[in-house]
Amino acid sequence: MPYLGSEDMVKELKKALCNPHVQADRLRYRNVIQRVIRHMTQGLDMSGVFMEMVKASATVDIVQKKLVYLYMCTYAPLKPDLALLAINTLCKDCSDPNPMVRGLALRSMCSLRMPGVQEYIQQPVLNGLRDKASYVRRVAVLGCAKMHNLHGDSEVDGALVNELYSLLRDQDPIVVVNCLRSLEEILKQEGGVVINKPIAHHLLNRMSKLDQWGQAEVLNFLLRYQPRSEEELFDILNLLDSFLKSSSPGVVMGATKLFLILAKKFPHVQTDVLVQVKGPLLAACSSESRELCFAALCHVRQILRSLPGHFSSHYKKFFCSYSEPHYIKLQKVEVLCELVNDENVQQVLEELRGYCTDVSADFAQAAIFAIGGIARTYTDHCVQILTELLGLRQEHITTAVVQTFRDLVWLCPQCTEAVCQALPGCEENIQDSEGKQALIWLLGVHGERIPNAPYVLEDFVENVKSETFPAVKMELLTALLRLFLSRPAECQDMLGRLLYYCIEEEKDMAVRDRGLFYYRLLLAGIDEVKRILCSPKSDPSLGLLEDQAERPVNSWASDFNTLVPVYGKACWATISKCQRTERRVPELPNTASFATSGPLIPEENKEMVQELPDSGALMLVPNCQLTAEYFEKTWLRLKVAHQQVLPWQGAVHPDTLQMALQVVNIQTIAMSRAGAQPWKAYLSAQDDTGCLFLTELLLEPENLEMQISVKQNEARSETLNSFISVLETVIGTIGEIKS
Amino acid sequence: MIHSLFLINSSGDIFLEKHWKSVVSRSVCDYFFEAQERATEAENVPPVIPTPHHYLLSVYRHKIFFVAVIQTEVPPLFVIEFLHRVVDTFQDYFGVCSEPVIKDNVVVVYEVLEEMLDNGFPLATESNILKELIKPPTILRTVVNTITGSTNVGDQLPTGQLSVVPWRRTGVKYTNNEAYFDVIEEIDAIIDKSGSPITAEIQGVIDACVKLTGMPDLTLSFMNPRLLDDVSFHPCVRFKRWESERILSFIPPDGNFRLLSYHVSAQNLVAIPVYVKHNISFRDSSSLGRFEITVGPKQTMGKTIEGVIVTSQMPKGVLNMSLTPSQGTHTFDPVTKILSWDVGKINPQKLPSLKGTVSLQAGASKPDENPTINLQFKIQQLAISGLKVNRLDMYGEKYKPFKGIKYMTKAGKFQVRT
Repeated sequence: MPYLGSEDMVKELKKALCNPHVQADRLRYRNVIQRVIRHMTQGLDMSGVFMEMVKASATVDIVQKKLVYLYMCTYAPLKPDLALLAINTLCKDCSDPNPMVRGLALRSMCSLRMPGVQEYIQQPVLNGLRDKASYVRRVAVLGCAKMHNLHGDSEVDGALVNELYSLLRDQDPIVVVNCLRSLEEILKQEGGVVINKPIAHHLLNRMSKLDQWGQAEVLNFLLRYQPRSEEELFDILNLLDSFLKSSSPGVVMGATKLFLILAKKFPHVQTDVLVQVKGPLLAACSSESRELCFAALCHVRQILRSLPGHFSSHYKKFFCSYSEPHYIKLQKVEVLCELVNDENVQQVLEELRGYCTDVSADFAQAAIFAIGGIARTYTDHCVQILTELLGLRQEHITTAVVQTFRDLVWLCPQCTEAVCQALPGCEENIQDSEGKQALIWLLGVHGERIPNAPYVLEDFVENVKSETFPAVKMELLTALLRLFLSRPAECQDMLGRLLYYCIEEEKDMAVRDRGLFYYRLLLAGIDEVKRILCSPKSDPSLGLLEDQAERPVNSWASDFNTLVPVYGKACWATISKCQRTERRVPELPNTASFATSGPLIPEENKEMVQELPDSGALMLVPNCQLTAEYFEKTWLRLKVAHQQVLPWQGAVHPDTLQMALQVVNIQTIAMSRAGAQPWKAYLSAQDDTGCLFLTELLLEPENLEMQISVKQNEARSETLNSFISVLETVIGTIGEIKS
Repeated sequence: MIHSLFLINSSGDIFLEKHWKSVVSRSVCDYFFEAQERATEAENVPPVIPTPHHYLLSVYRHKIFFVAVIQTEVPPLFVIEFLHRVVDTFQDYFGVCSEPVIKDNVVVVYEVLEEMLDNGFPLATESNILKELIKPPTILRTVVNTITGSTNVGDQLPTGQLSVVPWRRTGVKYTNNEAYFDVIEEIDAIIDKSGSPITAEIQGVIDACVKLTGMPDLTLSFMNPRLLDDVSFHPCVRFKRWESERILSFIPPDGNFRLLSYHVSAQNLVAIPVYVKHNISFRDSSSLGRFEITVGPKQTMGKTIEGVIVTSQMPKGVLNMSLTPSQGTHTFDPVTKILSWDVGKINPQKLPSLKGTVSLQAGASKPDENPTINLQFKIQQLAISGLKVNRLDMYGEKYKPFKGIKYMTKAGKFQVRT
């Protein structure tokens, strides 16, 4: 903070604090201290008056004490030697007759955060645990956790832990919750506090006595408890029933999650619970607090992914109102897109159509993409709306619509005709790279149906020199070559010009290389070009693949009421991973032996290093068909060369998997039907040296993992490794599409 | 759980910080400022921002961002709710919650925050218990404190938390025993061009102010409890009794609290008490547009609509508006393009209207969309859902309390599309 003269201020305050007249006048003394605190909160360095402040702590004035303690907690790490002086006063206060002073002193002492303070606080904390005032016990219990942190997370004090476990029976509800919190921190290395049957039942019985924060946290801790019998399980659920109707959304969500996790073997109970919390969730979605709305909407989306029809009758609740912030509007549009059904599609589309002309370009585009999403099921109507939007001739609208068209044509080939008719004229209103690419792609692939396609592309070719985006130039090359195949007469000349430009004048290497590549390809003959460029123009199966994404509740139950629904799982994983490595770093200096920091390459990187050299070595031959008998014979003869498990959730769609494996030249010999338990599949593949890979996939649904066993007819570890990584990738990808 | 809290004003200055576990550098807020810059308006800053090592969860109220720094996985609703509780507490303590007030009372703010959280965990959040720990500043008390040199810290520990009923302290005594209940309903609605509702729902609450001696046990019954199907209660309400008899039975907390909140969303049950007649057109050829709106009552059961305020965000192309209201005052801000008309009461005999012309930017194309009209209003002595309290009985104590019930209907997010 640019605050000149802060040194003068410190001097002046120091003088005032030392002044015996000030010290004699309680009120003036306190005022000076307040000024110190005020400056401190504004971020000024007030550590200069530490000594004087320590002296000020010896007072009967409780407010003054509070202020000084506050000051000390902030600056103690900077002045550890001086802070030790304060300990004495604090220790004395810990046996003050007033419980409030005792609590205050204990809390401050535990928050000093400086080395060497542990030995002084141990005894006061232990005394505090047995204090008769619950206020002090609450502080002391959390003090245990702070003390443990000061010790550097090294050893766990068994006696202290036992003491805390016994304090779970304390009559004060906040002490109980604090015990849980404290144990959780102390036992972090061992996986946190253990919830066994007596503790779980004790907590359940105390639930109604806790405040809402306590309830929410206890519900979270109870997730660890596994009821022994079905009867016990349903008893617990009955006890918790009323929390689904709590006035605090946090408690409702916590209770919902507990229900979902406990009842993971009873899908109908899970569905019941989700029906029950529909009301509270919708209430949170229209709550006064925007932030609550947002978090609730994220959870609604998650539920919709498993129960698409769940909120359909309440679709109007998700209509945006003008004054809402963007992040809520964007969530609502996503929700609307997901809960569309035959009955409400008309109204939802009409509403979305209204958003497309919103003042905010981002929101308008989001609405257009949402219509595009709905178009996968209700194609005709949506294409009509999108076509009308083109008539507005607004730049941001046109580019979003054209991008939507591109994706749509790929997934739903039946709308190609309508799209082709809508396209002429769009080129005037597109300026950005994404939109141009989409338009050029459409013109190239479906050019034979758009009469003026060559002329539009010609304009792009004319202006290619001033084009700023390399991606657009690449797209233009491909599109023009494609169009050349279907309409050679109109395109030959400009294709020549474009190739000339790209090869002779273009500065961007990627574009130039692409130009050269096409040039040489053309030299190889027109049939060769056709074989390479004329791939299928649509892939409806991709759309179906995505539609299958109806996930079982269990696949996300553990993420419910966490930050995952807000971020999305992948994003969350990278964040927490990043954090974990970060946390590891500061610990290093603390560990006495430096042997741990020996290996320079972290584990993840090591794997990469191993894999890289041979990743190109494996070439699987297409169309290696083994007969089932031959496979069986070989399978029985060979030993398992490699075995590993991969995470897997939910059932398998054999067709999807088979198709995906086909792509990387792995053949399927036999597979169980979908839904069989356990599910098995046998695969085979052969590389260019004739080495055979035989694989068994085994999925036992309750384990949530897929076991892979690979056998090889020639023992060669490097090709085996690459084969396994290929297999892993495929299975990983399929798993992600599903989940 | 909550590592640190930063208070940031809308121009991006951190004016208060408090750390519970370890000191987190202010630089963590840079990520927040980035998001703030990206969002065009303060309201659009996303409530959850990931940074490489922390997560920032924030709420925006009273033009202040309350940013909590989190380091481990947390239930997001829990933290957001807690932040709102912090704001509510400040408001309760100081009357208003604004930057200057917080700066003036920074010491009390720190004391309160210290009691609300320990080691990052919520501790005392009930405002009547907090107020016993730390007395709120009042003008009178400030004067008294200055003279006597006494403090605004309670000398005694609150006894409330030790009683068998956690939300009520023991030994409460009043000379006048009174119990007041306010039934407040807010209508959230979107009305389409033709005047028929697209969505409409009622968010109702019953707020209570109970000042009764001892341990009273109250029961409250409704004439038409069937209206309430989506309800959430204060923890004091006995849920089983409600489920079986549809009666609210509870030992109330002392002082102000929210007894229950409910939703009525079945379309046919939600009456819309006002209508807006509008005629807004931006003509293509000339640079003048026509603007006319009239507000009138409907389905108000004979009650007066008051406190009516109409606001509307005009399209960018609007330069100025020259309007004449039949009553009330109006303003148009040519920079933000917000039209605001303070109507006051609606007299059904003489409906208020606002008429005039709109001058548009010359040469610019006609705006695509007509403006949306936001409406605020109040109706006293009416719960628009028709909810009625039947009777209130007290058991457990001998005296006769004074009982009162008030009804009120307000506009929540009420908007009319044109």
